[in-house]
Amino acid sequence: MKKNVQMPKLGEQMETGVLAAWNKEAGEVVKKGEVLFEIETEKVVSEVESMESGVLEEVFFEAGDEIKVDEIIAVINCD
Amino acid sequence: MIYIENNSTDPFFNFALEYYLITEKQLPEDQVFIFWRTEPTLMIGKYQNTIEEINEDFAKQNGIKVVRRITGGGTIYTDMGGWQFSFITKGLAETIDFNKYIGPVIEGLKKLDVPAEFNSRNDLVIHGKKFSGNAQCMLNGYTLHHGSLLFNTDFEQMVKCLTVDDYKIISKGIKSVKERVTNISEHLKNPIDTNTFRKLMVESIMQGSRAEYKLTAADLERINAIAREKFASWEWNYGKSPKFNITRTGRFDGGKMEFKLDVNNGKISDCTIYGDFFGTMDIKVLSEALIGTTYNKESIKKAITAVDIKQGFYQINVDELADIIC
Repeated sequence: MKKNVQMPKLGEQMETGVLAAWNKEAGEVVKKGEVLFEIETEKVVSEVESMESGVLEEVFFEAGDEIKVDEIIAVINCD
Repeated sequence: MIYIENNSTDPFFNFALEYYLITEKQLPEDQVFIFWRTEPTLMIGKYQNTIEEINEDFAKQNGIKVVRRITGGGTIYTDMGGWQFSFITKGLAETIDFNKYIGPVIEGLKKLDVPAEFNSRNDLVIHGKKFSGNAQCMLNGYTLHHGSLLFNTDFEQMVKCLTVDDYKIISKGIKSVKERVTNISEHLKNPIDTNTFRKLMVESIMQGSRAEYKLTAADLERINAIAREKFASWEWNYGKSPKFNITRTGRFDGGKMEFKLDVNNGKISDCTIYGDFFGTMDIKVLSEALIGTTYNKESIKKAITAVDIKQGFYQINVDELADIIC
């Protein structure tokens, strides 16, 4: 099964976040709880952990991109 | 909440202390509080481009330290006339909340009759002038909130190390900073010194509690290692910079020259040279020598020295050329 990874909403005012850095690359195996990427919103850097275990199949953004809340950032194949 | 007395003024050590508590020590208490200060330092946001943020020459000449934070936000200047506070809280906040940490700081200032307020940009202000910047990170299951407090900071130095070396821009900058930024000590009805301020703020924030954790020799050993290996390293402070483009232009007796450089992770990844310079050398030799070089003066000088520039450039020496490039 494929699961989408979306930009989380970390604050009431938050509309977008900057994907600051990837900790995993496309094709890599990820475990639930591992840090997938870091995002930066107004003065806050947050690690975002994977909610799934599987293979990071596709990534749609690169470091430095500003992404809307809920937009799909990547796909994890959990099979 | 437990307090850690930290009298180190070394920014590398102080950031290493926060990092150590989050990633290694993990004290049983829900919250750790530290109140600390630094020698003159430029603190860069985690994902900022260090080279673009600071006047590196001025910082070097004046012994101002440069260190990247693990939190977001912009570059700030700190010195012995100011204080930093850190709250390290177990658990990740569901939503970003600055009030929770800034509230107790405002309370402490109110006890000193300082009319401090929180504005919409997560800054603390007195009569609309900023005296504190705040930033956070969520790391390893912890929320770190830290902020600065300008108490008696040297604004002239602040402006000089954050702006380009131009007398007119600097004097304008100082004027504009004084209109927007303020020191807490200017708003005290009863003057107190920097250390008394610390004592009163810590007492207020700790709400009279004397719960304290004393760092052990083993703690200090690890913190010093992290300071050295991570926070004082070139890779962390400069190497992590995002890719950027820079154009540098120079005039000299032989003509005019322009360098267009791509800098990626602190190293020159591409270089094109334009100009009406005079010489017989293939300019590609110089650009090829520069590609792969670390973007700082020393490395650039070394790279240029390996090329026989006398053939390529009329009346220009290595130092002058390096000054143009970096």
